[in-house]
Amino acid sequence: MTDTNDYHVPATESMYECPSCGRPFAREEWRTLHRGLEHASELDDADVEQFREAYRSEDSELRLFRLKALAALVVLYFVLLMIYAVV
Amino acid sequence: MLRRRAVAVVALATVIVGRASAHGGSLAEGVREPLTIPTWLFLSTGGAAVGASFLLASFVTDRSLIDAIHAWRRSLAVPGRRVLAGLARAVGVAGLVVVIVAGYYGPTDARANAAILLVWVGWWAGLSISAYLLGNSWPLLNPWRTIAGLLPSLDLSYPDRLGAWPSVVGLLGLVFLEVVSPLADNASLLATTVLAYSAVTILGAVAFGTETWFGQVDPPARVFRYYGRVAPIAAGEDGLTFRLPGTALSEQRLVDGRDEVAFVVGLLWVTTFDGFVATPAWRALVRPLVAAGVPALGAYLLAMLVGFALFTSIYFSAAELARRTAETFLTPAALAERFAPPLLAIVAGYHLAHYLDYFLGLAPALVQALAAPLATRSSILLLPMPGWFGGVGLASIILGHLLAIWVAHAAAYDLFPGRLQAIRSQYPFVAVMVVYTMTSLWVISQPDVPLPYL
Repeated sequence: MTDTNDYHVPATESMYECPSCGRPFAREEWRTLHRGLEHASELDDADVEQFREAYRSEDSELRLFRLKALAALVVLYFVLLMIYAVV
Repeated sequence: MLRRRAVAVVALATVIVGRASAHGGSLAEGVREPLTIPTWLFLSTGGAAVGASFLLASFVTDRSLIDAIHAWRRSLAVPGRRVLAGLARAVGVAGLVVVIVAGYYGPTDARANAAILLVWVGWWAGLSISAYLLGNSWPLLNPWRTIAGLLPSLDLSYPDRLGAWPSVVGLLGLVFLEVVSPLADNASLLATTVLAYSAVTILGAVAFGTETWFGQVDPPARVFRYYGRVAPIAAGEDGLTFRLPGTALSEQRLVDGRDEVAFVVGLLWVTTFDGFVATPAWRALVRPLVAAGVPALGAYLLAMLVGFALFTSIYFSAAELARRTAETFLTPAALAERFAPPLLAIVAGYHLAHYLDYFLGLAPALVQALAAPLATRSSILLLPMPGWFGGVGLASIILGHLLAIWVAHAAAYDLFPGRLQAIRSQYPFVAVMVVYTMTSLWVISQPDVPLPYL
């Protein structure tokens, strides 16, 4: 993993630390996801359920992001198409 | 409309070919055709292509798929490795001898001189292309490594705090020398430069040991090593290891420290600088400077340093910003290190666009010159490139970017637990890639003028 001196946590910010490797995260759900991805063997059933929950809630955010990305692609394509038609 | 777009693509291809033949001094005379679309549109299309590829990559959010692609490896045992390696070393040393002998005693016509053709066509164009398309063979071919390996080493301890900085300075220095001096025309000057480089390199390698010297200080060794990370073949434990192209760039600790990041960004900058000094914009900029009493060489040096400072500061501010967009506690330095290697794919793409037709066009002349290095000849073999070949250059620039975007995407997925967080971490880096792309495209869209004051 990455060295500990690769991190800097400002004193004013809340931080969630991974109990296995000490890596700090700005959000609790990222710590949950990190533990599931990197330290899967150390998790108990409750942790696993928590990880699944975090992963699912991320899925719905991702769906929204994909729609936005698709919209951006379509806009980009048509704007360029229009410009090439005019120029 | 389709026809118009086809014209635009051909125009893009043509300028790239034009620039490519203008490289390497006067070896090949290129005729540049003007763009048929306005420059701003040409630049925006290039920038949009990079942005669009980022959006496309962001659709791939399956961690196991990304891991599977990047972890794919096959090994192949090569029998008789020692003999082959010894042969490669002998070829490298023979090449050095040819460069020096042909440089002083060969024909004065640059396109018939084995020294000039071997250095620029064989080594700087051909070997670089093979390094990122196939694999890095320079550690075996490198004649200075072979020679220094035979000499006793003093094994002085290399000051760690210097890190890769000497190679950054060396890279900028060598490219500066290449731009401001007629190294591509004047064979004896080239041979003298090679001798001077040999003296410095062998002394350095003897003083600090070959591994330290070629691992830390020597700029060409570092360039080839970084190019080799783009390639699908690497030297493995008992033979060769195959991987998918570019996938080795997402590994951790490939680029370590601010100095190595600076080298990668510097490599990107020198490919731009090389073209920038041949633009009318540079001519307009340098004239008042020289009129005001600045020596011409000083103005070139200033441009090189200012551009390098600009490129690196843009990159480091992107790393700073990424810390915020990804809401991570990783330091900007750690982010900068992790997302620098993908830039190498972009560098490789530009290099291929610049040099592939130059290499193929002059390869017969190289073979001809190597067959009889000291003979003067009246006719020179050249391979004429078909018109559609410019499309290959365009495709390689696009492929370089696609690869860079993909590799950065994979590295972000490796680094961040949140999938959306990984995508957000890329916003500043994608913006930087768009800026770099548009800068390079602007340079190649400009008419080629002779270097002022040189």
